[in-house]
Amino acid sequence: MSSRSGEPIVVTGLGTLGGWGSGSDRLAQALAAGAPLTSDVDRSAGYHLPCSARRACLVPPGQLTGWLAPAESRRMSPPSKLAVAASRMALRCAGLTSAEVEEAAVVIATAFGPSTHTEVLLKQILLEGPESASPSLFMESVANAPAAQIAIALKARGSSVTVCQREAGPLLALGLGAREIASGRAGRARRVLAGAVDEMIPLLHAILDRFGALTREEVARPFDRRRSGFLAGEGAAVVVLESQSGLAARGGRALANLLAWGSGFDPTAPPSGWGRGHRSLARSLRRTLERAGLRPSDVDLVVSGASGARDGDRLEAEVLRAVWEGTPLPPVAAPKAVTGEYGGGLLAAAVLAAAGAPMGPTPGFGEPDPELGVIPLGPLGGSPREPKGADRPHPEALTPVPSPAPSHPPPRERGTRLEVSCLSPSSPGEGGGEGAGEEGRGDEGLGRGRSEPPSVVLATSLAAGGAGAWVVLGKP
Amino acid sequence: MQREDPGEGRRVAVTGVGAVCGLGWGAAALWDGLRSGRPGIGPFHRFDHSRHRTHLAAEAPEAEALAGVGPGGRRLSIADRFALFAAVEALGQAGLAKDFRDDRDFRDSRDEDLEVGVYFGSSTGGIYESELFFADFLREPRRARLSSLVSQQVNAPGDAVARQLGVTGPVVTFSSACASGALALGAALEAVRSGEVEVAIAGGSDSLCQLTYAGFNALRSVDEVPCRPFRAGRAGMSFGEGAAVLVLEPLARALARGAEPLAVLAGAGSSCDAHHMTAPDPTGAGAAAAVAAALADAGVAPEVVDFVNVHGTGTPLNDAAEWQALQRVFGNRAGELPLVATKALIGHLLGCSGAIEAVATVLCLHHGELHPVRRDGEADPELPVSLVLDEPLRLPGARTAVSTSLAFGGSNAALVFSRWTGQA
Repeated sequence: MSSRSGEPIVVTGLGTLGGWGSGSDRLAQALAAGAPLTSDVDRSAGYHLPCSARRACLVPPGQLTGWLAPAESRRMSPPSKLAVAASRMALRCAGLTSAEVEEAAVVIATAFGPSTHTEVLLKQILLEGPESASPSLFMESVANAPAAQIAIALKARGSSVTVCQREAGPLLALGLGAREIASGRAGRARRVLAGAVDEMIPLLHAILDRFGALTREEVARPFDRRRSGFLAGEGAAVVVLESQSGLAARGGRALANLLAWGSGFDPTAPPSGWGRGHRSLARSLRRTLERAGLRPSDVDLVVSGASGARDGDRLEAEVLRAVWEGTPLPPVAAPKAVTGEYGGGLLAAAVLAAAGAPMGPTPGFGEPDPELGVIPLGPLGGSPREPKGADRPHPEALTPVPSPAPSHPPPRERGTRLEVSCLSPSSPGEGGGEGAGEEGRGDEGLGRGRSEPPSVVLATSLAAGGAGAWVVLGKP
Repeated sequence: MQREDPGEGRRVAVTGVGAVCGLGWGAAALWDGLRSGRPGIGPFHRFDHSRHRTHLAAEAPEAEALAGVGPGGRRLSIADRFALFAAVEALGQAGLAKDFRDDRDFRDSRDEDLEVGVYFGSSTGGIYESELFFADFLREPRRARLSSLVSQQVNAPGDAVARQLGVTGPVVTFSSACASGALALGAALEAVRSGEVEVAIAGGSDSLCQLTYAGFNALRSVDEVPCRPFRAGRAGMSFGEGAAVLVLEPLARALARGAEPLAVLAGAGSSCDAHHMTAPDPTGAGAAAAVAAALADAGVAPEVVDFVNVHGTGTPLNDAAEWQALQRVFGNRAGELPLVATKALIGHLLGCSGAIEAVATVLCLHHGELHPVRRDGEADPELPVSLVLDEPLRLPGARTAVSTSLAFGGSNAALVFSRWTGQA
């Protein structure tokens, strides 16, 4: 996937909710601290095995306040609520009103769709009989409900697209959204809301655990020799994409440039796991970089989709090593150790990194896996390669937070470099985009008062089942 | 390999189609059934529907359910198997089957410059198998067999196709309800045009399942008799299942290797009603915008469209909104334009509907003949459309056709196909 018209695409807004709460500033804090914010999963339904995983990165209660009125959301599924709230945050961050996205397209990825509604509906059908199926549950059980609810809430009448490609979905959504703008063809949108949403319900958590996908520890340990699975997560991340010329015309500012996007597939992967076909994935990733006119050595930071999955992290490492062909890797961040898997945390982290937010140490990483040969950001030295340019600090150096990570992030420090976002949830304004006005266009941007961010950020995500996706972001 | 300049002139050919549905396995069975005008909708056996409100569906015949499925097929969902069959058939017709042998050594040695992508639509993927699992799980959580969930994901059919065929390029699954298949084809079109891939395997797959059957019945959107699109007595949709795949490649490439294009996929467009989760915008504005975008993308005027394969679910509201959309786009021609209503014969294949109706549209163009539907009851005086009824309509001069898909959540998609006339 690449731009045909050559029109540069920029990310101008970011909205996100997850285990860290709501807003990019809180996510940035958590990423800088290298601290996953986990909660106990409700095991009262009896779905879980006694020894199963107990923790997940779940959205704390009360995060929608100010973004979504109860009356508006009463028929929405949990993912729809998260998606609409994140979209409004993204619009506000971009300094756009709803009226300015009436022709916008919406591209949302979800791995599992509205699971709560699906579970309850299936219980009605299977236990009480099909005649008891609730129509209101059914209409919100479809995978495209979140994208549709975003479009309805914002009156966005461009394409409404839902992508289901598991872990690769969020980056695919970003690429598909960018292609919508970049094609420059008749009838295509000039602005796109792209992102991801997922909820982590006890049933899904229990099933993932039975598949052996989840760590039963408190931390996930990406790239670590002791890794045993990922932390399940939930949340939403939505970005606003625009053409650079469109942004210039309205006088906004960009969080990141979207330099390239691409995807590939590993046909050796089993349906619910990762394979050994790193060569084909590496070839696809190299082509993506080439389309952006970049060499691997131009990449300043890899925001990796490594999650702590044993096979997934091995494949991720093999792909990276194959692309860099024996040369030292740039610093590698593994934000899923903070955000959990699913819900778009990786996508949000990549945008934040390109915008200059510091990436902190990798929670739980302590013992390098010699088979992998990748050392993520952390006290063990992070990358074997120093960053280019004397004026560009190593991302690790920006956040000297000790490991092991604390169970909670440090208190919010207003006025320090951790204050990185215009997205405080405390004053969302009416309907998010509406009324955001000048505040959203103001100087309180991501990266304010920070050191020089990495110029080129590569985000990668390899899905169970075989798909892989990558996005290359640049400093605006 | 030097790639063709991905400019406006990169036309995209359909060089192969494959299909499974209630009319049978294979595109020939589909076409024969469509020409007959006899619905493949009837009693079905996939699950016990005795307690459901309605009792009909277009169920794919079971006999060949494993055709085209190699090692590991035991764990594939029914939707996966449909998808694999359709993909293998389509590649065979395209003359590309030799490039996709299910042989690991062959795959590894294949020319890596043949960039191939899979673009699939599915509404529920392997949810039928999930329902079986969940029923067991609710009875005894510890004894439920996880193996039935291995291929449960919505993306599983597209992944299964890519895995079986050794595809290493982009693999994307769209799940925008009934627009999924058409959106997948639109994405595939763009990928071929842009030079991202040289061959796109695009389509969709869905199987019958209790969740959607009960859900649409709960909405009172399912007819108790085979659906009657645009007719006065219509009372809802009929369900179907199956898969459809179209092989897309640059027209120049197809001709250079001696392939005979079936049609040209000339344009795609999409939109959202932004109106309601289930009810269409009664003004038809959203659907019209998708059709208009597709026509603009194809660079053709509404006046040159020869027929429309309508979404035509048979629900009172949907057909009425679609009629409004047709009027918005085609003006006074809307009532004269021949309409093909494929769902009346194969049911609604949900995430696959856009793909199998695209195959039907291609076949209509290729054969110069529009398939009919049975004359069920009176015409609706409020919807004065020219539905092709009872007998195939010979239309050998037809050059351009539109296929529409209008989904839950207001997601609309439209495709424009051109007849292949032998002139590049």
